[in-house]
Amino acid sequence: MRLAAAQTAALARRSVVGTLRTPQALFPSLFFPLVLMAIFTGSFGSAPGTIPGFPPVRGFLDFALAGAVLQGILIGGTTAGAAFALDIEGGFFDRLVASPVARGAILLGRLAGGVALAMFQTLLFLAIGIAFGARVEGGVAGVALLLVLACLLAVAVSGLGIVLALRTGSAEAVQGTFPLFFALLFFSSAFFPRETMTGWFKVVADLNPISYLVEAMRDQIVVGVEPGPTLIGLGVVIGLAALAVTGCALAFRRRLAAAP
Amino acid sequence: MRHALAVSAGLAWRSIILVRRMPSVFLPSLIMPLFILVATAGAFRGISLLPQFAGASYLAFTIPLATVMGAGFAGMNAGMTMARDIEGGFVDRLVVSPAPRLTLIAGPLMAAAMRSVFTTTVVLLAGLIGGVGPPGPLETLAVYLLAVGFSAAAACWAMGVALRTRTIQAAPLMQVMVFLAVFTSVAYAPREVLTGWLHTVANLNPVTYLLEAARAAEFSALGWSELWPGLAALAGLLAVLGTWAVTGLATLGRR
Repeated sequence: MRLAAAQTAALARRSVVGTLRTPQALFPSLFFPLVLMAIFTGSFGSAPGTIPGFPPVRGFLDFALAGAVLQGILIGGTTAGAAFALDIEGGFFDRLVASPVARGAILLGRLAGGVALAMFQTLLFLAIGIAFGARVEGGVAGVALLLVLACLLAVAVSGLGIVLALRTGSAEAVQGTFPLFFALLFFSSAFFPRETMTGWFKVVADLNPISYLVEAMRDQIVVGVEPGPTLIGLGVVIGLAALAVTGCALAFRRRLAAAP
Repeated sequence: MRHALAVSAGLAWRSIILVRRMPSVFLPSLIMPLFILVATAGAFRGISLLPQFAGASYLAFTIPLATVMGAGFAGMNAGMTMARDIEGGFVDRLVVSPAPRLTLIAGPLMAAAMRSVFTTTVVLLAGLIGGVGPPGPLETLAVYLLAVGFSAAAACWAMGVALRTRTIQAAPLMQVMVFLAVFTSVAYAPREVLTGWLHTVANLNPVTYLLEAARAAEFSALGWSELWPGLAALAGLLAVLGTWAVTGLATLGRR
């Protein structure tokens, strides 16, 4: 058990160091969310307090921060999945499987690496937001809850990336899922409140689990710790993470069974 | 001159038929503008409730953004195709042929312009399905003209990058600059609504004036005072980025 934990930690460390050593992999998950947050804040800064239905917030930056955190984790998770696929393409995965490394450590190591990067990203985005005037109304408890939600989301997204990597063995195929995440993000309340949406778009945003997750994250920043939205968000992300981890285990077993 | 035109047209035709042979290259430039149109108009519709919009439809407000982005993608495709042609040796073979070098740029430019006409038509049709009819014939012509001009500017930028870097791995650089140019303008809201740093940057960004002219056309409110800043911005972009692409040609024989 202790050995498996050490192996998981070593593989998680390798995953984090690998991402940090390839800035082109890390760059999109930091650059795009921050740039979009800045652009949306500049474009929609007049919205709070003016537009009917816009929830009461101190400023649009406070509102946009959760969307940026979520977007960063979605991009980072895709990168983690693609890195796992590169391990498969390059033969590292096969060498790991042939070694006495615990099977669970191979998956958990990559997931833990994704979670560590998501924690770093979330704290970095919060620090940048606060530096530019945002305030986390939930205080330390709010930040802690935000980190829990971010951590579970990272498990869900990295897990999905790993499932695809195990099924296809192709980094390109994993990266090809990025538009899907991008669409999920835009067709949710990640960047603008659901209360201002109408018609079929609102129906889609209402059905999109990302809406509830981002709203739970946003609540910690703009309102404070409130049990209702937090529990809904936690329920959604725990469900997604459980699905992803189950999918990982099944895809892993299937790949091992198919190996010559 | 006639020879140069024939070679340019041949290269343009080659780029166009690549659409059929490699749809994965062209499809994003068709899907992304439609995605931007639907996602932007749906997600940010609430911003049009601000008094500065005077009750205008946000879908109509977003159509020029989608046409300009579609044109930008058509332009970026020209750069990516050139990068692939450089990696594959096709450009080297053209350089040692009697074809004038300028045709290396002129051909993909013509192809980008044609693709932007197609994406603009698709976006206008999507707008029509969404309930926004096209403006008058002259205004529609202006929307097309501005899109074609922006596709040429984006193509010059992307080809300049391709000629200097000689690798398809530079594609993100081509894309990021076009994205930043468009989204740090009046992409989501008019200038009167923008706040802070974005207001300052949008005032300095030529794409702002291009988009404002296209929007005035879309809302059938296009007069000379709305059109000339857009045309001037376009001329400036084409002059600077055209020079960037042409000077990139000079680097071809060096390595």
